[in-house]
Amino acid sequence: MSAVVDFPVRPEARPYLDAACADPGEPDWLASRRRRALARFAEEGFPRRRGEAWRYLDLRALAEAPLPPVSRPAERAVSAERAVSAGAMPPRLAGSALAQRGFRLVLVDGRFSPALSTTADLPDGVRLSSTANAIAGAPDAVGTALDALSDAPDQPFAALNAALFSDGFVLEVAPGIVLEEPIEIVHLASGAAPASLHSRSLVRIGAQSRVRLFESFAGEGRYWRNDVVALRLGPGAGLDRVVLVEEAGAAIHLAATDAELGAAARLGSFVLLLGGRTVRHEIAVHSTGEGARCRLDGAFLATQRQQVNIVTTVHHMAAQGETRESFKGVAVDRAQGAFQGRITVHPGAQKTDAHMLSRNLLLGAHAAIDTKPELEIFADDVKCSHGAAVGDLDEAALFYLTARGIPREEARQMLIAAFLGEALDSVVPAVLREHLSTRLARRLKELEEPA
Amino acid sequence: MMLEIRNLHARLADEGREILKGVDLAVSAGEVHAIMGPNGSGKSTLAAVLAGRDGCQVTQGSVSYLGRDLLAMPADERAREGLFLAFQYPVEIPGVNNMYFLRTALNAGRRHRGEPELDAGQFLRAVRAKLKELDIGEDLLQRAVNVGFSGGEKKRNEIFQMAMLEPLLAILDETDSGLDIDALRVVAAGVNRQRAPDRAIIMITHYQRLLDYVEPDRVHVLQDGRIVESGDKTLAVELERRGYSTFGDAA
Repeated sequence: MSAVVDFPVRPEARPYLDAACADPGEPDWLASRRRRALARFAEEGFPRRRGEAWRYLDLRALAEAPLPPVSRPAERAVSAERAVSAGAMPPRLAGSALAQRGFRLVLVDGRFSPALSTTADLPDGVRLSSTANAIAGAPDAVGTALDALSDAPDQPFAALNAALFSDGFVLEVAPGIVLEEPIEIVHLASGAAPASLHSRSLVRIGAQSRVRLFESFAGEGRYWRNDVVALRLGPGAGLDRVVLVEEAGAAIHLAATDAELGAAARLGSFVLLLGGRTVRHEIAVHSTGEGARCRLDGAFLATQRQQVNIVTTVHHMAAQGETRESFKGVAVDRAQGAFQGRITVHPGAQKTDAHMLSRNLLLGAHAAIDTKPELEIFADDVKCSHGAAVGDLDEAALFYLTARGIPREEARQMLIAAFLGEALDSVVPAVLREHLSTRLARRLKELEEPA
Repeated sequence: MMLEIRNLHARLADEGREILKGVDLAVSAGEVHAIMGPNGSGKSTLAAVLAGRDGCQVTQGSVSYLGRDLLAMPADERAREGLFLAFQYPVEIPGVNNMYFLRTALNAGRRHRGEPELDAGQFLRAVRAKLKELDIGEDLLQRAVNVGFSGGEKKRNEIFQMAMLEPLLAILDETDSGLDIDALRVVAAGVNRQRAPDRAIIMITHYQRLLDYVEPDRVHVLQDGRIVESGDKTLAVELERRGYSTFGDAA
């Protein structure tokens, strides 16, 4: 790929421009899309902290120490296989995945790993493949995946992702199918070498179908995970997606989800952010069909020097839509957490019923929490509300526990666990709720009393 | 001597106003004491200081518990050393399961004393026996601590915890307040069941009626931050008859 362009390239974007390298095996339409996306990134550069969208994230470390992708396809395959022994995930990372293996697609260092995956015997009408494999077999799906966020403002990393993505997953469900068992996607980073991993995925659900998805992110070493997922729900379709982020302590995790809901479609989304040094999880929902409903929930626990951001944008374009958002955050030590939620009710989206809640615990003199709920309402027959709170642990509750002999440290953890644990109540099915609960408990044990 | 309070002065940290103005009290193992007093006399402050709540500042005096300096111990240590406070207003703690909380507290004490911890099964057996005695449904225990409990259920839950934790010194802070006669009987029976030669119980109460059911060995009148009179159980009857204003400095 040529590094010569006819517009000024932002300095922080240059290393990525230079590292980008065309894959001779890819069709022209894809190569062309990649070039356009790369140009867009090069021109836009990193997001400005002065702007509202990325205000709460400090990306200077990334700007100063770029993490270009592993450049050649052959190199990628070799590093992945060397890092992972066939048939078994590295023990330290295996905990993020479900103990009981069902339908599972595993990506290692941004590449599909057949050895670790089980995608055979899916019911008729359910197709699960890697994005790379879908380029030839289902180009329309890959095209749809690439459309996500392509026109959105303040999404330079999505553009970079479109230019550099190595793989991802494509889940397509034909109409009229109900699959109760969660489909699992495991994203692992082996830590073989510091690099950026770009994954682009699509979930497309046909009319009246219902599917559950569980995605986990884990890794070792220093890496930048740049993940974009497109969700497309047909009329009456239902998707429950649970995401668990347990990236390595030095990792950057920037993930964006772009969802479109057809009439009477229903999206349930839960995200639990436990790991990674710099984490931003963004969900954009476009309720374009009448009566579409979405439930966006999640929780984060930010410790040490973590930065964790949750950003949600919901657009109600049609009438009778419903949105419920409930997020909980905890920041201790010197960590920084932020929640930005915006619900926009467009003209004509009458009878919209939307409510957003952000509750946070700020436990530490040097910790910080920003919470910014927003409502933009352009219709006049709606029910909308938002609430935000930042507080400390309930002193009376803490005293009650310690007055029964529970050491203060343990009592604090019990209350933090209770606060975050309540957020998990909305996770279905029970197997996922219990899994998240176990991972949360494990993460809480690592807490130390703030000074 | 289990508990010896000498010239205890204390004030609320943020207000600066002195609430306890020289309390003296001695309690031995096996004894049941009642501390009675009008509103504002310092009853709850005394309970809070003994339990180790933040926000109460001791300005003078000492408290010796089993020969140790109680005021030097943090609240959780006092509890593990056998001190128990039954709260006047037990707080609700959403998200913390009642059973899990109690088992954690119980095992913290056992660990401290070098006793083996109870596993879930052993704990459940111990729990079931005591639940029946206090007329508490097992379903209540499956809930979060005190969440959705009526006033009476909260007070019974306090006495149930006392029965499970088997303290050496139990301080019951207005345990009878807000209880109807039936609940009072159940709670009183629970307290009486826990009388033991190695245990002391201090009941802090405004009204005399609890003392009809739990007979005290000693009764003290707390007024304006000091114990102004002490006597046997007949003192409580006299108090009820004459009122607080005729005691102490006001007499």
